[in-house]
Amino acid sequence: MMAIRCRVGIALAAIILWSVTVWRPVGAAEPVVGPDHGAKMARGLELFKRAVRPVLTQHCLGCHGEKATEAGLDLGDREGLLRGGESGPAVVVGRGKDSLLVKLISHARTPKMPRGGEKLPADAIAAIATWIDLGAPYDGPLLSRKSDASAWTRRVVPEEARRHWAFRPLQQVVPPEVRHPEWCRTPIDRFILARLEAAGLQPNPAVDRAVLVRRAYFDLIGLPPSPEELEAALAADEADWYEQLLDRLLQSPHHGERWGRHWLDLARFAESHGFEHDYDRPTAYPYRDFVIQALNDDLPFDTFVRWQIAGDEYAPDNGLALKATGFLAAGVHSTQITKKEVEKHRYDELDDIVSTIGTAMLGLTIGCARCHDHKYDPIPQADYYRLVAAFTTTVRSELDVPDPHGYAQALALFEREHRPLVEALRRYEAEQLPKKRAVLVDAWNKKPDRGRWAAIDALLPTGFKLSAVVQWQQTLDPEWQKLAKRVAEHRSRAPKPGHVKALISSENVPPLRLHTQGEDFLKETHYLRRGDPAQKEGVATPGFLQVLTRAADAEQRWRQVPGPKTRTSLHRRALAEWLTDVEAGAGPLLARVIVNRLWQHHLGRGLVATPSDFGSRGEPPSHPELLDWLAAELIRHGWRLKPLHRLIMTSAVYQQSSQIDPRKQAVDRDNRLWWRRPKTRLEAEIIRDNLLAVSGQLDRTLYGPGTLDPRSVRRSIYFTVKRSQLLPMMQVFDAPDALQGMGERPTTTIAPQALMLLNNPQVRAAAHRFARRIAPTDDVDTARIVEAGYVTALGRRPRADERAEAQAFIEHQTAGHRAAGHHDSRLLAVADFCQVLMCLNEFVYLE
Amino acid sequence: MMPQPMFAPPHPRFRSRREFLRQAGQGFGLLALAGLLEQTAEAVIQPMAPRPPHFHPRARAVIWLFMNGGPSQVDTWDHKPELARRDGQELPGFDPTTGFFVNQVGPLMKSPFRFRQHGQSGAWVSEIFPNLARHVDKMAFLYSCWTDSNNHSPALFKINTGMSRMGFPCLGSWVTYGLGTETQNLPAFVVMYDTLGRGLPKGNASNWGAGFLPGIFQGTALKPQGAPIDDLERSPELTDRLQRAQLDLLGRLNRRGLEAAPGEAELEARIETFELAYRMQLAAPEAIDLSREPASVHRLYGLDQPKCAHFGRQCLIARRLVERGVRFVQIYSGGMENQLSWDGHIDIAGNHRGFAEETDLPIAGLLTDLEARGLLESTLVIWGGEFGRLPVSQKSAKPGRDHNPHAFTVWLAGGGVKGGTQYGETDEIGFKAVVDRVSVHDLHATILHLLGMDHKRLTYRYNGRDFRLTDVSGNVIQAILA
Repeated sequence: MMAIRCRVGIALAAIILWSVTVWRPVGAAEPVVGPDHGAKMARGLELFKRAVRPVLTQHCLGCHGEKATEAGLDLGDREGLLRGGESGPAVVVGRGKDSLLVKLISHARTPKMPRGGEKLPADAIAAIATWIDLGAPYDGPLLSRKSDASAWTRRVVPEEARRHWAFRPLQQVVPPEVRHPEWCRTPIDRFILARLEAAGLQPNPAVDRAVLVRRAYFDLIGLPPSPEELEAALAADEADWYEQLLDRLLQSPHHGERWGRHWLDLARFAESHGFEHDYDRPTAYPYRDFVIQALNDDLPFDTFVRWQIAGDEYAPDNGLALKATGFLAAGVHSTQITKKEVEKHRYDELDDIVSTIGTAMLGLTIGCARCHDHKYDPIPQADYYRLVAAFTTTVRSELDVPDPHGYAQALALFEREHRPLVEALRRYEAEQLPKKRAVLVDAWNKKPDRGRWAAIDALLPTGFKLSAVVQWQQTLDPEWQKLAKRVAEHRSRAPKPGHVKALISSENVPPLRLHTQGEDFLKETHYLRRGDPAQKEGVATPGFLQVLTRAADAEQRWRQVPGPKTRTSLHRRALAEWLTDVEAGAGPLLARVIVNRLWQHHLGRGLVATPSDFGSRGEPPSHPELLDWLAAELIRHGWRLKPLHRLIMTSAVYQQSSQIDPRKQAVDRDNRLWWRRPKTRLEAEIIRDNLLAVSGQLDRTLYGPGTLDPRSVRRSIYFTVKRSQLLPMMQVFDAPDALQGMGERPTTTIAPQALMLLNNPQVRAAAHRFARRIAPTDDVDTARIVEAGYVTALGRRPRADERAEAQAFIEHQTAGHRAAGHHDSRLLAVADFCQVLMCLNEFVYLE
Repeated sequence: MMPQPMFAPPHPRFRSRREFLRQAGQGFGLLALAGLLEQTAEAVIQPMAPRPPHFHPRARAVIWLFMNGGPSQVDTWDHKPELARRDGQELPGFDPTTGFFVNQVGPLMKSPFRFRQHGQSGAWVSEIFPNLARHVDKMAFLYSCWTDSNNHSPALFKINTGMSRMGFPCLGSWVTYGLGTETQNLPAFVVMYDTLGRGLPKGNASNWGAGFLPGIFQGTALKPQGAPIDDLERSPELTDRLQRAQLDLLGRLNRRGLEAAPGEAELEARIETFELAYRMQLAAPEAIDLSREPASVHRLYGLDQPKCAHFGRQCLIARRLVERGVRFVQIYSGGMENQLSWDGHIDIAGNHRGFAEETDLPIAGLLTDLEARGLLESTLVIWGGEFGRLPVSQKSAKPGRDHNPHAFTVWLAGGGVKGGTQYGETDEIGFKAVVDRVSVHDLHATILHLLGMDHKRLTYRYNGRDFRLTDVSGNVIQAILA
C-alpha cells in the first residue's frame, strides 16, 4: 500500500492541482522545466536559505520530519515535500498559491498550520509561495536521516533528469535545407548531407549496380544473389528496379532469418539451461521461429515487444503470441539449486529478465540499479525492484501452442526419431525373442518340473497355452521391456495434433522443474538493500521507470485489474503498455533504440554508437534529429519495420561506396558524418550460409527444430544453441555465447578463423561441391571455371590479372595433385581454387 | 615481435586505458578489436600482442592446478588437532543447510590421514602428499579462503570469474586481455580437463569463457581425444606444397584487393592471420608432443605410473606450453562431481587418497622441473578447488564430507611468491576462515598483482559500465609477496 501511494506521489511531482476538495492527478504531463529553469532554481535556493529554511525548521519540522511525520508529511528533504502526505502533494512546483502547503499556512484551508501555533507572518508565507513558484529547491536535507533506512525505496527522480536526450519526447523535426539537394534520394540524406556540407565534405560516389545488388541481398536476406538473379538485376531497365528488388527481398522468407538473428543476440537466446548440467531445452526453438515469422510478417514492432513480455496476457489463444514469451524464458537457469540459494537464484533470474528488457528494448543498463541507485542514469534502485515485481509470479512452462505448420515439422522430426526405436523393438521381437522362446518351448515340452508347469497349465484355456506363454515370456524379457518402454516414453512426447510444445513464460501454469530444493518463485518481490536477499526493505509493487513516465495517471493508464477468470496478474501487460506508450511512457525511447539498430546493421554503426546504452555513459547520437525523425517515421508507419528498411536502403547515404579517402579521413577520421558506407564483416552465420549457398548445398527449409550437427546444410540460425557446446565455427567468428544480451558483436580477426577456412572438413566439403558446380565435367574450359567461380562467390567477373593468376593456379594444382597420385586431380585443383575464393577478404567483407 | 616487454623496467603510467592500449599496439600488424576501444581507428591493434603490464611483473605465466569438486582443507594442508580431539561429537548450532545434503549431517570427524611437518617452514602436510611435502618451502599457503556458494557451479564460476553467476570473463581471459601473449603460434590460454572420460567441471566451458570480453580471450580446451585443437590438421588431399600454393594465391589476390581499396586495417590484418594459421599448424602439435621429452622427464612427472600418468602428461604439456610463451594454463584434476572428482561426499578417505595419488607426483615433478629450468621464478603455480569441505561428516557407510563455502586452502608457488609462507587461519576445527580472511577477489587481486597488473585498473567497458575481475573489492595479500 505504502509503495503505491508513494509512486502516485512521485508521478505528481509536476502535476497541476485540479480540485480544491479532491486531490487527484490529471494528465498535464508537461514537466515544469522551462528555459529559465536554472536561473529560477538558483534564486529559489537563495530564498530558501534566507527566508524559507528558518521558517520550516522553526515552525514545521518538529511534527513533519523530526519527531514525527504527521499526516505522513515529511518536510525533512525535498523528496518528502514533493511526495506529500495523506492529502496528496504538499506543493505544486511552480504554483505556490495553488499549493496545499501555502493554503494551509495562509489558513485558506483547514487544518490551519502550524497547528496550535500562531499564523506565520505574511512575509514568511509570501516567501514560501515564491519559493515554490521558483521550483522549491532545497540546498540539502534539513535532517540527517540515519534512522530512515527505507528512504531509498521511495526515491524520486528529479525533473532535470528527464533532460538527457534519450528521455525526451520525440522532437518534431523537418529535414534541413542543403546546398546540393540533387544528391538526396530520401529525407534521410538531407540530414546527412547538411552536416557533411557544413564540414566541407562530399559524400562518396554511389557504388555500381552489381555491388548494390550484392549489398541488398546480404543486408536483407543474408544470402548472395545467384548468378541468374544477379544477371537479371543487372539487366533490369525499369526506373524503379532497385525499389522492386528491395520489395522482393523484403518479401523473402529469408528476411526473417537474417534479421531474426540480430534480435536473438539481444534476447540471449539459447536452447539449454546453462549452469551445471546445461540440460537441453528442446522446446525453446519456437521462440526463435516466432522471431523469424514476426519479422517476415512485419508484425508491428510495438506488438512484437508487447508479446514478448506478455503475449499470454494479450492474446492467450494465439500461438505466435505465446511463443513470443519465450523471450522471458531464454536466459540461463540453474538446474541445481540448494535450499540456501533458492532466493538468490530467483532474484538472479528476475534480474536477467529485467536487465535484458533494459538493454534490448530500451538501451538502458537497468541491471546496474540492482545493488544501488544507477551510478550514471536516473534509475533509482527502487525503480529496479518495481520493474522486477512485475515478474514476481512469472515462471517458465511448457505448453502445447497452436501451430499447424510447426506441428507438421515437429511431427516429421518426431517420426524420424521414433522410427528407429520402433524398429529396434520389432527387430528384437523378430530376431532375439524367437531364440529365447525356443529355449522356453523346449523347456515346456520337456516339462522337467511337472508341478509348477501343471499349475500354470491349469490356468490357461485349452489351445492358447503356448501362445500365452510366449506372450508372457515376452513381457518378462528385460531387454524387450527396455525397448518397449523406450518406444512408449518417446510416444508420450509426440506433438499434439495442430500444436507444438513451446517453452513459454506465464503465471499459474505448471513450472518447469529441475533439481530445485525449494519454491519456483517467491510470493513477493522485496526491495533488497545492496541487492542482498538477506536485507529486505519492504515489498515492492510493480511499477515503471520514473524517468520514462510522463503520465500523471500512470496506474490507471496502463494497469488493468484482472477479472475473476484471468489466470495472470496482468502486471506484465501493464509493463508492456508502458514500454510501448509513445505519449506518456517509454515509447519514444523504444522507437529510437530500434531504428538505431536498423541503421547500425545497414550502415555498420548506429547513429548512437552504443546501441544498447542510450544512457549518459553511452555515446550521444551523431545525428539526433535524424534519429528522432526515423523514430517518428517508424511510429507513423504503424511500427512496421519493413518500410524503414526500404527507406534507409533507398537513401543515397546507404548507396555510397566504402572507399577510404585520406582527405575526408583527415576531417572526419571515424566517419561520424557518414561520407562512406563502411565495409562490414559478415557474421559467423552469414559466412557459413554463404559457403553453403555458393557451393549449392543450402537447404532452404524454414523453421522447426534445429540441430547440433556441424554438417547440417540448413541456414545457421537453425543450429541448436547449446550453451556448453557452442559450435566452433560460430564461435570463432564472434557469435555470442548467449549468456547475456548482445547489441553489437565484436569483429575479431584471428588465426583460428583462418585455420577453420583452411582445414575445416565442412569448408573443404563446400569447396568440393562448389568445384563440381562450376566444373561439372572434366572438359569445362579453365577460363570459364574461373569466370563462374568469381561470379558465384563474389558477384563479379574476374579482372584480367586475377583470371591469369587463377588459371595458372588451377594448372599448378592439377599437376601437383596428379603428382601426388590423386585420380580426379583437376577437380581437386578446382576445389583448391574455390577454397581460395572462400578465404578471400572479399568473400567475408561486404563492400 | 615487440622487444620483450614483460621484464622491462616499470613502465610510465599511462594517462588512460586508451593511451595504454595505443602504445601497446604500436608497431604491430594491425588488427581491429571492437569493444576494446569502441571501434575507433585507434582500435586497430593486435589483440594478442604482448602488452606491458601496469608495473613490474613477477610472473609472466600462470599454471592453475584446479582440484575440481572441492578438496577438504582439513584432510590436505590445514592441520586441526582439535578436530581429532572432538571426533564424534556433535557440532552445536550447526546449520544443516551449510552443505548440500541437508539430511545427512553427522558429527565432527577427524581426518583419516596423518599429518607431519615438513621443510624449513614446518608446514603441516597430510600423508597423502608425500611428494608435494618436499616442496612446501616453495609454497605460500592461504588457509583462510572462503567463497559465496555451497553449490559446485556457482562456486566454480566464482573462483574462475569472480562472480557466482554465469557469463563473466574468467581469470585466464582477463589475464590474456590485459597482457596478450608471447607466442602467436599457440593459443594464449589453454585448458586441460580430465582425459579419463569422467567429465568436465560443472558449468563446462563457462569456467574458461571470456564472458563479455571478445571471444578470442576465452580458454582453448585441448580435447582429450582426437586432434587436441580444431582444424589444426590439413585436409589429407593437400600436401604442404599444395596448401602453400593456395596461401600464396590467396595472399596475392587479397593484397591486390587492398591496393584497390587501401586503408582497411582489418583487411590487412586478415592477410596476416592466414600466415599465422599456417605456422600454428606446425607449432601446436610440436608443443604437445611429449615423445620429444627424455625418459627421465617422463618419470619425473609420473608418466610411467598408471595411476597418475594422465595428469602427469597434462602437467608436462603445461610446462612445454609455458616454455613456448603461452600465458595461462589451467588443468582440472577430476571429472564432474561426486566420486569422479575431489567431491568426497562419501568415503572421504578413499576419494582423497585416490585423487592425491593421481596428482601428487605429477605436481611435484612440475615444480621440480620448472625450478630446474629457471621457469619457476616467472611462472605462478596455483593449487586449489572451488570450496572446502565440512569438519562434520556426511553420513554414509564410509563417511564423507559435504561442501563448505566458509573455508578452503589454496597455495601459490613460483613467480613472485614468498615460499614457505603460511597466511590466515581457520577456527580450531577448520570450519570457518577466521584470521586474515581471503576472499576470492583478494586471491584474484593478488594473482593479477604478481603478473604486474593493478586489479582496479584492469577494466573493460561493457553495457555502460567498466567491469573488473574483482568487481568492487579485492585486496592484494602483501604478506605472501616475495
